[in-house]
Amino acid sequence: MCAKVLMLMSLLALQACSHIQPVAAWQKGNLALPEMTFDDDPLERGFKEHTYTSKEASSGGSSVGGGGCGCN
Amino acid sequence: MVHRSAEVAVAAIKQNFNLPELGIALLGAAMSLPCIMLDAQAETAPEKGTLSFKYLNYKERQQVTGQAGNSSGWTDSQSGASAYDDRVRVKATASSVLLPLNSDWSLSGTLVTDSVSGASPAYHTQALSGLKDFRRAMDTSLTRYLPNGKLALGLGYSGENDYISRAVSLLATQASEDKNTTWTAGVGFQRDLINPANQMVVGEKKRGADWLLGVTQVVSMNDIVQFNLGYYNGRGYFSDPYKIYDERPKRREHQTFQARWNHHFSELSGTSRLAYRYYTDTWGIRSHTLDTEWVQRLGSDWRITPQLRLYSQNAARFFVEVDPRIAPFPPSPLPNALHFSEDQRLSAFGAITLGLKVTRQLSLDTSMDVKVEQYGQKAAWKFTGAGSQGLAPFYARSIQVGFTHSF
Repeated sequence: MCAKVLMLMSLLALQACSHIQPVAAWQKGNLALPEMTFDDDPLERGFKEHTYTSKEASSGGSSVGGGGCGCN
Repeated sequence: MVHRSAEVAVAAIKQNFNLPELGIALLGAAMSLPCIMLDAQAETAPEKGTLSFKYLNYKERQQVTGQAGNSSGWTDSQSGASAYDDRVRVKATASSVLLPLNSDWSLSGTLVTDSVSGASPAYHTQALSGLKDFRRAMDTSLTRYLPNGKLALGLGYSGENDYISRAVSLLATQASEDKNTTWTAGVGFQRDLINPANQMVVGEKKRGADWLLGVTQVVSMNDIVQFNLGYYNGRGYFSDPYKIYDERPKRREHQTFQARWNHHFSELSGTSRLAYRYYTDTWGIRSHTLDTEWVQRLGSDWRITPQLRLYSQNAARFFVEVDPRIAPFPPSPLPNALHFSEDQRLSAFGAITLGLKVTRQLSLDTSMDVKVEQYGQKAAWKFTGAGSQGLAPFYARSIQVGFTHSF
């Protein structure tokens, strides 16, 4: 059930993407700002993922290959 | 710094060549763009290497003394604010380097040290037992840049006295011709070896694989969105050997859906960053995470980033709730139960994080940042429903100091 909802949400997201006006390279000044990227501070992300994984039941979302730990 | 040098260059050009005003304005704007933009356009290795360092000081507290509930009903917190106990303290460092080898290849590596001390409850939020550990983790990644994408191979290792984890991953991205759409696909495998100090189990293993599929889309000059689907499949020892009554399934699968949206407000020199993640797994846990940040630029050198994170999860289906009739003693699992756990992290709760980060650009190539965060976890903060009763609220604060230099 959940997998179907996820698939549907993704398909809707993809559908939305196909109606977007293309942005030219010279219009991407603001998009190049570090705060407009999704991984501007990888070390902070590392600490964040590690801390939340050891205090909450959820993990994952935006990356693969993170090493495990015996965090109590 | 960028703006100042650009202004000087433009002034010099204006003096010598007398270009029309519009052309000069455009040239000035182009020169003010950070060099990272060039990297974002072409899929080549970054022109500069990067050296980063971060220090983390993290401290938890929780009111674990006394009973979690009283005879007149459940309470979320006890009276008397001085009754909080220190729990786990962590002092961690992370150092990383990114080295472009040539225009097609780059190599990166990160080294993390984690010094952990303090105490953790043996069940629910009761019976603290001391712990002390030192963790070393390292990962390295080799990236090959292709005309419209890149391919990264990663290796990771994390070692503690009682837990060793090895990981390998492969991540591929492919961009459209105009670079407005980027597809991401990744796979990772982990192998863990568990040898707890109390020898509850010996040589236990855990294996897992995770998969990621994502798309990043430039929506406008000021909007970028990203959608990620994740899937994890793990087999082996998932129990916590330091807790009593803890027997978890030998198998866990989870699925995640994540959506992120960054929007830049030019007139305010500010950027909103919104992220939502839905998580569901075969243990019956579902969670929602909402992460919001506002990045405010002050002048060309300062960035101030307040952050608010909201989180909510329900309990694992084998979580054994506190029994008010016998608290603070641990309830025995049902006689025929195959799986059970009294770990607070598998209970139903909500959590709030408040954070503030300040970044100072020291020069074109060097920046420093400081971040403070306060985290709280309570049954009453669950988005819907009451959450697991009888557990003491949990708090943590952290301070991070970071430094980044390009060379």
